[in-house]
Amino acid sequence: MKQLYRSAYLLFFLFTFSRAANAQQVATPTVDVTLKQVPLPAFIQELARQTTYSFFYNPADADSVVVTVAATQQPLDTVLRRALAPTRIRFAIDPERRVYLTKNQPIQTQLPFGASAAPLADATISAPSSTKLVGTGKPGAAGQSVLKRQEIGERGAPAATRLTLAGHVRNLASGEPVPGATVFVDALSVGTATDQFGYYSLTLPSGQHTLGIRGVGIKTAKRHVLLHSSGQLEIEVEEGVTSLREVVISAGKDRNVAGMQMGLERLDIRTMRQIPTAFGETDVLRVVLTLPGVKSVGEGSTGLNVRGGGTDQNLILFNDATVYNPSHLFGFFSAFNPDVIKSVELYKSAIPAKYGGRLSSVLDITTRDGNKKKFSGSGGIGLLTSRLSVEGPILKDKASFLVAGRSSYSDWLLQRIPNKGFRESSASFYDLNAHLSADVTPHNSVYATGYLSRDKFRLSADTVYQYQNLNASLKWKHIFSNNLYSVVTGAVSRYQYNITNTKNPVNAAQLAYDINQATLNADFSYFRSNKHTLEFGVNSSLYNIQPGSLRPVGPESLIKPEVLSREQGLESALYLADRYDITARLSLSVGLRYSLYYSLGPRTINQYQPGQPKTEGTVTDTLSYRAGQVAATYHGPEYRATLKYALTDRASVKASYNRTRQYIHMLSNTTAISPTDIWKLSDPNVRPQVGDQYALGYYRNLKNNTIESSVEVYYKSMRDFVDYKGGAVLLLNRHIETDIINAYGKAYGVEVMLKKTTGKLNGWVSYTYSRSLVRVNTGTPSQQINNGRYYPSNFDKPHDATLIGNYRFSHRFSTSLNITYSTGRPITLPLARYFTDGAMRVYYSERNAYRVPDYYRADFAMNIEGGHKAKKLAHSSWSIAVYNLTGRRNPYSVYYKVENGQIRGYKLSIFGSPIPSVTYNFKF
Amino acid sequence: MKRALRLLRAGGLSSLLALAGCIDTFEPDISTTPPAYLVVSGFINSKGSTTITLSRAISLGQAATVPAEQRAKVYVEDEQNTRYPLVEGEPGTYSSAALTLLPGRNYRLHLYTAAGREYTSDYTPVKSTPPVDSVAWATTTEGVQLSVSTHDDRSQTRYYRWQYEETWEFTSAFRSYIEYKGGGKFAPRTQDIYQCWQSEKSTAIKLGNSVRLSQDIIADYPLLSVPASSPKLRRKYSLLVKQQALTQEEYDYLDLLRKNTENIGSLYDPLPSQLTGNIHCVNSPEEVVIGFIGAHSVEEKRIFIRYDELPTTWRPSSGYEGCGFEPDTLLPDRISLLDAKPPLYIPLEPQVNGRQDTVSFTYFTIDCVDCRLRGTNIRPPFWR
Repeated sequence: MKQLYRSAYLLFFLFTFSRAANAQQVATPTVDVTLKQVPLPAFIQELARQTTYSFFYNPADADSVVVTVAATQQPLDTVLRRALAPTRIRFAIDPERRVYLTKNQPIQTQLPFGASAAPLADATISAPSSTKLVGTGKPGAAGQSVLKRQEIGERGAPAATRLTLAGHVRNLASGEPVPGATVFVDALSVGTATDQFGYYSLTLPSGQHTLGIRGVGIKTAKRHVLLHSSGQLEIEVEEGVTSLREVVISAGKDRNVAGMQMGLERLDIRTMRQIPTAFGETDVLRVVLTLPGVKSVGEGSTGLNVRGGGTDQNLILFNDATVYNPSHLFGFFSAFNPDVIKSVELYKSAIPAKYGGRLSSVLDITTRDGNKKKFSGSGGIGLLTSRLSVEGPILKDKASFLVAGRSSYSDWLLQRIPNKGFRESSASFYDLNAHLSADVTPHNSVYATGYLSRDKFRLSADTVYQYQNLNASLKWKHIFSNNLYSVVTGAVSRYQYNITNTKNPVNAAQLAYDINQATLNADFSYFRSNKHTLEFGVNSSLYNIQPGSLRPVGPESLIKPEVLSREQGLESALYLADRYDITARLSLSVGLRYSLYYSLGPRTINQYQPGQPKTEGTVTDTLSYRAGQVAATYHGPEYRATLKYALTDRASVKASYNRTRQYIHMLSNTTAISPTDIWKLSDPNVRPQVGDQYALGYYRNLKNNTIESSVEVYYKSMRDFVDYKGGAVLLLNRHIETDIINAYGKAYGVEVMLKKTTGKLNGWVSYTYSRSLVRVNTGTPSQQINNGRYYPSNFDKPHDATLIGNYRFSHRFSTSLNITYSTGRPITLPLARYFTDGAMRVYYSERNAYRVPDYYRADFAMNIEGGHKAKKLAHSSWSIAVYNLTGRRNPYSVYYKVENGQIRGYKLSIFGSPIPSVTYNFKF
Repeated sequence: MKRALRLLRAGGLSSLLALAGCIDTFEPDISTTPPAYLVVSGFINSKGSTTITLSRAISLGQAATVPAEQRAKVYVEDEQNTRYPLVEGEPGTYSSAALTLLPGRNYRLHLYTAAGREYTSDYTPVKSTPPVDSVAWATTTEGVQLSVSTHDDRSQTRYYRWQYEETWEFTSAFRSYIEYKGGGKFAPRTQDIYQCWQSEKSTAIKLGNSVRLSQDIIADYPLLSVPASSPKLRRKYSLLVKQQALTQEEYDYLDLLRKNTENIGSLYDPLPSQLTGNIHCVNSPEEVVIGFIGAHSVEEKRIFIRYDELPTTWRPSSGYEGCGFEPDTLLPDRISLLDAKPPLYIPLEPQVNGRQDTVSFTYFTIDCVDCRLRGTNIRPPFWR
């Protein structure tokens, strides 16, 4: 290994050396050499000085060799032959003016490079072809890539300072793209990150460059290129891990400091797999909840509250299609099969201009592309669910598929519980994924995804709840040139639920709701130069909502069919963003998104007296709109800006501002996402929500980039987000605007995070102090909440600390510990008792004036890998986890009941004891 | 494989059971004493006597009974300033003479507390309540399910409230034939303390509406269920249902009150909300006053359920299970036990020897013998 480095060093040295000699430009290399008993290196140095040739040799071979030569105006090869004849050293010269000196045998330069005997491989390609250059030797041997030089473009092209080098970074084993990897040239301080397709584009001067490639889950690699003109370089890198569940080896080490993004959390599936969950199944959303600034009202809920925002203010994208209900089984499972997920990105601030439509955050979940090289599969068997996925090439290296399914068997278990309540209940879910990716031509790639998830549960014998997510997306990526590419995406999302109650035949009815969204995006990325990267495009989404329908079930039912008229809306946006590297230390990213929203007919909409609170009594008129007629228009700019200043190589300061607008609102007067929540579009009576966020962060990497630390502070204000009047009726309400109120919110906080990404012990510690406050001061005094003063929102949890620690004992055995603490969430408490109508009743405090006890939980997991024999049929692993190790009864809710004329306070805990689980995972 | 499956099943079951969650009692730490809000309960009866109760709210931890608001001046009045005074009977309870209020007029409650503060409720229209069509009962595997049906041909009512009163006949564990007169003297018992009647008023808020139906019909609205093992069903059981028609506002208020205090505790229930009634303090409009005063009439219906109408397999408990089966024997030298004040034991009957001499008495603790400790031995006038 040491020797390898020495060779490498020498190589570098010689390259520089030969470049220095370029000035002489000898057409036919003749040399003047007179040397007596000098070491071989000195002889070579002399030759290199006189010619433009590069010399390669192994220093170990050259150690004891001495040469004697006397030549005047002799051709180089003659001189070499004469001088080396008495030694064991042989030489070879290739057409690229390279001289290889080897022991005993001359190197065969005519052979295709890459034979295992040729550590000094070389290659030539002609621009602009993008022939794959790598993967010819032993896969991923790090030393090889260090020694390989790739020449791009026609030799003799005029020297230029602005050439582009572009291509994809892919996984060597599966051919899948590697997003978020950094491709950089240290010497020039030039670097970029690959996008979601693994695509990168760099602007470089012609000449010799060393590219470094680093990323999450891949081995750090290097490529040497000699750039003559613009061209493409496809890079295949080895996976950084060898086993199914491995500790993250390298995680974009200096991204924290050097990256432009702030308030971005990127997690890959390996990180997520280590974190213990309640039922042994990797849960994307639950892992996201451990990140600073992300909270949930409690267990049994995967609704996210990001930096003091509501659960409806997060844009959850699954391969670019919006997901409206991201959970299964009351939120105990996330709706995403962990086997198909590649990575999850959460933008908490500085939301890129290409995203819009939600106030607080963007959660971008991407699936893996299937393996383009060979068929493989994976799966898992858990206590409540099992899953299986199969993937493989359709056309080797060109097209692949990935299909996956997951199903619960909780129904089967429920039937076996010796308790009537359970036996009459049922709960089941499944989800299916299919993903196709194809590189049609080198410049055109197509991706297609389909997703279906379905839940059905019956709580007592008579009420059945069902809900379903259905998503599909089709994406076409076209590369116009090295500098410009486009992605056109079409996506459809459908979410629906229904509740059927058949207990009393007279009242038997089905309540149904659905939302449909069709989206078309055209996004362009233009790498103008290393200083400017432009992104621009158009997004458009058409919404169609059935706000609720109630239909009788059975002939005896007296229920009047009630069908609310559908709502339509069209949300479009244009955006342009530029990332400008002003100096090596200072960069600026500015974006402008302009969104435009139309509320569309056919619909009838009430008009209310201006200036009066909206009630049934203040309706002045009811207007009918024809199909496609615009009932209301809202539009406005959304500003996005981030500034980064690198204080040193290891520390930087970033600041950001962004404004977001939201035209769709979730109505739910419970604090958790429940399947009966409804989404409502903005219309003449419901204004869009507007949010502004200011954030400032300091980032510093310690201990050779192995420890990342960051401090971020933010302040956020939100206008017109939806809160409810007490006891609002949300279902089947034809004038819902009379039950909701526009609230004003503000949130602020500081997030501190310390993360160790490498080593046997890794993980993170984070602490957040944050507040989230709401004010409702419009309308009559009885409509104001807490007399129009600020009150804590339902998810205001000021202190929050999380520790995620992983310790790897060996390649086969690792453990994880997860500890979470947070302040209890606010509740409205009863203050007084009074007697009326024969019973004691309670009088409640102002809204959210008190808090439930603090939340604390510790989880532990062990991962045991099977053997790593290469020929084994299937690789397997066991994970054994205990959720809520201490069995703490964290209150989910606190409530009071009048029982037998007495008032009793209770707290409900979802998990009252440690929950063990075992999951068997396999991969073939 | 089979074993693995069994293991899986056991593991899955335990996870699911853990899912069921757990509920503990909770005592919040609220130190500040709340102000004693005025609480107004009752309604303006459009056909009969109106009874209004005035009291004050107390803190949650306070064990004392609620203080009655006494010596207030209370009126029912209409918009033409016609006043119907209410007179205080029991402390804090104010009643009017039997009135017949005019439909089409709006009425309100008007009162002055002894401290001189003035309160009014909002004017409210009079709703007339349609008669109860039927009170039905049916046996289920759990017990007796009682339900009410009604309708309004003119579709004017729509919002309903029911209150009910349960009455049941029962007996104590042992019948006593003699009475202890003190000083070792006994006399035959004149007053029956074996058979009694117990009554219980509803505390739950039972509301129903027919808003979503094409006709104003309430069909078999479930009011309550009585478990098969309940002592209420051991002999004879009666239910009196009182039906009231409500305005939408009063219905909404009561529905919120019901949600606040009865329906909170499962995963997805809404948060409790602030309640705004229709009573205001004239002197300071910000003052919190609890209560909602509506104006309507009341319709009643009573049904009976005899034990022999119930499935023969049902065995309602006596409520006296702790008393055992055999009375104890009291020897003459221990007769002073019966002198305890208040009495602890009741003699049941004399025990005689072959020569018909009384040699001892059977006796038992008073709570197993005197049914008046749980109810009344006065036969209710409606009982049949």
